[in-house]
Amino acid sequence: MADVTPTPAADVDAGAAAARAGAPWVAQLGARLLGPIQWVPAAARARVGAGAALAAALLFPAVVRNGGDIDAMANALAFAILALGLNIVVGFAGLLDLGYAAFFAIGAYTYGIVASGQVHPLWSPLWEPLRWLGLVGRFHIAGAPDTVQMHFSFWLMLPGAALVAAFFGILFGAPTLRLKGDYLAIVTLGFGEIVPIVVRNTPTLTNGAMGLNGVISPQIFGYRFGVNALPFYYLGVVMIALLIFISYRLKDSRIGRAWMAIREDEIAAGAMGVNRTRLKLLAFAVGAAFAGATGTYYVAKLQTATPEMFMFPVSVMILVMIVLGGTGNPAGVVVGALILQLLQSWFLQDVTQWTHALGRLVGSPWLQRVELVQSIELIFGIILVVMMLFRREGLIPATRTTAALSLAEQAAQPSRGGIGVTLSGIRKVELPVGTPLLETRGLTKRFGGITAVRDVDLVVQPHTIVGLIGPNGSGKTTFFNLVTGLDVPDGGRVFFMGRDITGRPAHEIVERGIARTFQTLRLFNNMTVLENVLVGMHARTRASAVGAVVRPPSVRAEEAAAREWALEVLRIFGNRLLPRVNHLASSLSYANRRRLEIARAVASRPQLLLLDEPTAGMNPAETMELADQIRSLKEMGLTVLLIEHKLGVVNDISDRVAVLDYGEKIAEGRAEEVQRNDDVIRAYLGRTSAARV
Amino acid sequence: MTFHDILLQQVINGLSLGAMYSLLALGFTMVYGIIELINFAHFNVFMVGSFIAMFVLEGIGLRGQARVLTGVPLVNALVLAFGITMLVSGLIGVAIERTALRPMRHVKGTAAMITTIGISYILFNVILLTVGAQAQNYPNPLPAGTWHLGGAVLRLREVLLWVVSLALMAALHVFVRRTKMGKAMRATAQDQEAARMMGVEVDQVVMLTFFIGSALAGAAGLIFGLYYNYTSFLIGYQAGLRAFTAAVLGGIGNIVGAMLGGLVIGLIESVGGQLLAVRWTDVIIFSILIAVLVFRPAGLLGLSTPQRS
Amino acid sequence: MRRRNTPALGRALGLAAIVCLVATLVVLGALPRGLAQSKTLYVGITLPLTGADAEDAELIKDGALLAIEQQNAKGGVAGYKIEPIILDNGTATAGQYDPAQAATNIRKLVANVGVVANIGPQMSGSGKAMSPILSEADLATITPSSTNPDITDPKFASQYRPNGKAVYFRTVTTDAYQGPNMANFMAEKLRVKSVYVLDDSGAYGVGMADAFQKRAGVKGMKVLGRDQLNPKEADYTTVLTKIKGLNPDAIYYGGVAQAGVKLAKQAYDVVPKLIKAGGDGVQGASFLKAGFPAVDGWYSTIAGPHVTEDPKAQAIVQAFKKRWGKNPDDYSITAYDAALVIMDAIKRVAASGKPVDRHSVRDAIQTTHLMTVQGLISFDENGDIKNRVVSVFQYRHNKEFPDDDILHQIKYIGIAPQD
Repeated sequence: MADVTPTPAADVDAGAAAARAGAPWVAQLGARLLGPIQWVPAAARARVGAGAALAAALLFPAVVRNGGDIDAMANALAFAILALGLNIVVGFAGLLDLGYAAFFAIGAYTYGIVASGQVHPLWSPLWEPLRWLGLVGRFHIAGAPDTVQMHFSFWLMLPGAALVAAFFGILFGAPTLRLKGDYLAIVTLGFGEIVPIVVRNTPTLTNGAMGLNGVISPQIFGYRFGVNALPFYYLGVVMIALLIFISYRLKDSRIGRAWMAIREDEIAAGAMGVNRTRLKLLAFAVGAAFAGATGTYYVAKLQTATPEMFMFPVSVMILVMIVLGGTGNPAGVVVGALILQLLQSWFLQDVTQWTHALGRLVGSPWLQRVELVQSIELIFGIILVVMMLFRREGLIPATRTTAALSLAEQAAQPSRGGIGVTLSGIRKVELPVGTPLLETRGLTKRFGGITAVRDVDLVVQPHTIVGLIGPNGSGKTTFFNLVTGLDVPDGGRVFFMGRDITGRPAHEIVERGIARTFQTLRLFNNMTVLENVLVGMHARTRASAVGAVVRPPSVRAEEAAAREWALEVLRIFGNRLLPRVNHLASSLSYANRRRLEIARAVASRPQLLLLDEPTAGMNPAETMELADQIRSLKEMGLTVLLIEHKLGVVNDISDRVAVLDYGEKIAEGRAEEVQRNDDVIRAYLGRTSAARV
Repeated sequence: MTFHDILLQQVINGLSLGAMYSLLALGFTMVYGIIELINFAHFNVFMVGSFIAMFVLEGIGLRGQARVLTGVPLVNALVLAFGITMLVSGLIGVAIERTALRPMRHVKGTAAMITTIGISYILFNVILLTVGAQAQNYPNPLPAGTWHLGGAVLRLREVLLWVVSLALMAALHVFVRRTKMGKAMRATAQDQEAARMMGVEVDQVVMLTFFIGSALAGAAGLIFGLYYNYTSFLIGYQAGLRAFTAAVLGGIGNIVGAMLGGLVIGLIESVGGQLLAVRWTDVIIFSILIAVLVFRPAGLLGLSTPQRS
Repeated sequence: MRRRNTPALGRALGLAAIVCLVATLVVLGALPRGLAQSKTLYVGITLPLTGADAEDAELIKDGALLAIEQQNAKGGVAGYKIEPIILDNGTATAGQYDPAQAATNIRKLVANVGVVANIGPQMSGSGKAMSPILSEADLATITPSSTNPDITDPKFASQYRPNGKAVYFRTVTTDAYQGPNMANFMAEKLRVKSVYVLDDSGAYGVGMADAFQKRAGVKGMKVLGRDQLNPKEADYTTVLTKIKGLNPDAIYYGGVAQAGVKLAKQAYDVVPKLIKAGGDGVQGASFLKAGFPAVDGWYSTIAGPHVTEDPKAQAIVQAFKKRWGKNPDDYSITAYDAALVIMDAIKRVAASGKPVDRHSVRDAIQTTHLMTVQGLISFDENGDIKNRVVSVFQYRHNKEFPDDDILHQIKYIGIAPQD
């Protein structure tokens, strides 16, 4: 039935997705199992699912009633929160952290130290305000000086420890910012190793290897939790509900999109205006804060803590939880964490007794003697490997499948003669007479012994299209990188609207009004088309992490405006991208990816647009269509600097053309002038024809 | 003993430790170089290797500390033990790659790494359940030869450790640099797709990498047993973690870097432990590691940071 | 059609699998209570049986199980069959003992009304998490190996036994005695003037070494240094070389065999002439078996009178070897005795005509007066064993017996001087 519909274009897209997913039907299984009701709208489905989960969580103790199992569940909830926190670092921002348990430890000991008798400094009047707040007491023994008795409130320390952990998150994050991938992993691993050792080696503060004594359990309205697992369980449910909510709010916000952009392509994220340093630190801080709060919860529940509780295996296991659950998907990582933790602390623990019971049932003495408890870890390892082999993308993958396009949506409607719409966000700049929009003076960049760009002076006047041409390797892309802050020049200066922007970081240059595309497509592949364009808006929106979670009216308005603007920008390309706004960028055809790059750049409301071979890979009709569209952008007020190999396009739309060869500008002028230039013919056409021989 | 002697002794200790870390780091770095995977199973291939070697030595009648060999019988016993251990460990590595990791090859992200963690648990617990948890008294066929360098003592087993490690590393270096297969390996590390197009059998290369890495881990396991005279199911964790650190310190993916990184970590451990307390050793190691990476983000010998965009 | 069918089939299979799994779990979960025999009493055994602590935990479990099996073979206790419920205090998450899991396990046992007592934990870290829960439930545990004094210290009673009664009993003495008494012995009998103190970073080892160090200072021994070994690390030559440079008369090691074996082996090479001593962590078959011949000359102590040459002890050692195919260590014996204490308490409760439940069993354990191979076991009001004799041994090789024969390769020296 569905086969009747011819789906040529979608086949390409689906094929790409299938190749990525390995075994597509397996990858879809979890999503289908947990969200199978296709006729319920997506938003309602999420709400129904959340409601059902919450109801199940609230009813759980009434059904299970075994204190041990409730306790196991409460512990599992703590690990689920840890998984949520690590998911922000690893899943959202893509920073591989192998030492996450360090923050768990910091949170645990922060509360543990101020809520037990471990430290009791001598009393001094400085403590008086804290005593007035009820956080410390004055302890008097006859014949000895008075000491301070610390009993900080759990409810205060829950956010307090989160803040302390966040502070350490920033502290540990700062030196790692320059590192990528596995180097980052090893540094975080280092911190993960160091923290428990420091804890063990500072016994005056932590009681070292002996473990803390008598950490105070929480008290609410006169009721003390004590060793009762039930209130802890409900507290855990509240915490996790809150943190899942925060996770989703963050994920679906300016901040979350910026994180995912960093995860997908750090360079491109910077070039789209994302302040990488600040957002990475933010990810570390938020992730650490989750762990800090969990540490407080965990240690208050256990009433003791030893350094061994926070070693490397803990960090690894939390990572396993999120990968198994579905990296990047809060619901997935929670499910992953619950499964793995309950498997160890509940199901596999009881499996021996169940086997014995089964043995009694069927009368098998052998089954009654089986002792599986020592094999728990072995079984656990096997389950882990099997799960990974068959559910590579995690139980609930973050990237969802999208409905196929209808026939009408698939049929491209090639348009000639420009965009036919106006872009409300693009305004003509007014510059003092004589000030060029962009000017470079003596710009130079060397890589080792090669000078990629040498002494280039270039002037771009507002509301023009300037073509930058030259043979392969002549330094055009490097020139772009220098202007947009991806590379720092070795000499020369760059002025934008009369201001010196030489060596400024990429995100700042975007803010000032220069946006670019990349020759080698650098889209955020695992984000949707719409999300890609919204990342382009990063520099023009203001929502903070707090704003993203709370969503005050100003943030809602900003988000709505951003979405409207994003759709407006996508409309430049007619129905090429609009029907696909919720598709992953990786599923687009090559030409559409080029268009999306341009849309993403335009979304940042630039004055100057740098396009690096925008028509590469397009057929002649598509090329002409895009040329018209670029011309329309100029008419709307944009200035365009264009690297292009298709000289037809360059001649057609450029007001001026500059030619680079071996990093030097060898000619500049109107297109037809440049083409008659002997140097250009020799350097450019001569050499390419020579290369053919 | 003068302070000078002690320091010399600590350098000898550190070099011995370092040689072992280097052997183990090679496996990490080679696998990473080829398929960008942090292989946590490597920790316990090393551990299993030391048990295989123990069974071989006990199989030829060397049990506990009772029998000491010299001359040709000793060489024969060692060659046999190294040969079988490296072969079996290598095959374990190949089996891991073939069954659990190959299906993951094209899955982006950390899924394959998580699989290796699972395998690590399996290896660890198989030994725990079959051999038992008790520390094993390792066969010690080496005669107790010592040399005195001032107040410092150099023992035969240290010399043996150095010689075997150096020989294995040199052999690996020659293999990677001089042979056709080695060239295929380097090509695959540079660009898997391009190598494939040039006719390199990438699957074979990956398998071979796992074989060599695991065989070296097995050899390290045997050396460990002979050197410390004991083994247990627990030895993989700490040594593996240090070796992994060594691989990164040297510039992960870089074979010479792994050797150098191992030696540096070994020396930091012994000299640092002398100057401060050993309870701070890990703090020292990881602080230095962090400092090195912050100032040289690609490791000591790394030329460029791997781009994983 | 295939493109549509495959996911649907997969979904159906997946759903079926999940339903089956859940159903099985629910049914099996309900079974034990429904099918338990009425004349069965349950005793928990909670130890870190997987992960890094499995080594000692296994020997403890085997000791306790042996006692229970022997008793059941004789027809049980007062007509009751004793069934152990073994739970793992270790988790893959922690990679070793996990106090949170220990607390979970104790709650599991508390929830099962058939459980009258527990044996465990191995580690004091777990004990700290367990003790308040045990107190609330009035369920007694007997630890064969956790020696950190905090838990039974009256100073911390409000934290670890809020209900007042002792619930955390020990068939070992706390660190408070072995370390100091050995310091006395070394100062008075061995004439040690200077010592270097090591521990294995664990609560047991640190506590013992701390207590030793304190007493050593009082006895006029010069403590030249103190350091901590990482039990997961293989190489201790660094610290031993450092010790060699300081040239003390002796090394004292507080800790268990895991690090102790490695320390002994490497000390044998680096500092062969020093006097080396430890506590009950280095007394036992696993230390000897893995450490021979390097352990030769080491002094060790046990927290009790010397009894292993007693024929009764011999019988236990032989039975243990026969049942498990390996040598017991001291914790196997203390675990064996812990099981005996529990079963003795059950017997006394049954004889008195009171209902046998965890409350009556706890009260009976408190009044234990039982002769075992490690001597008379009775507890003070905190749960600590009253017998505080510390016996000193030395490993001395005897060629006439197998190298790993713990009974003949170690020599009883005498009782360590008390304060």
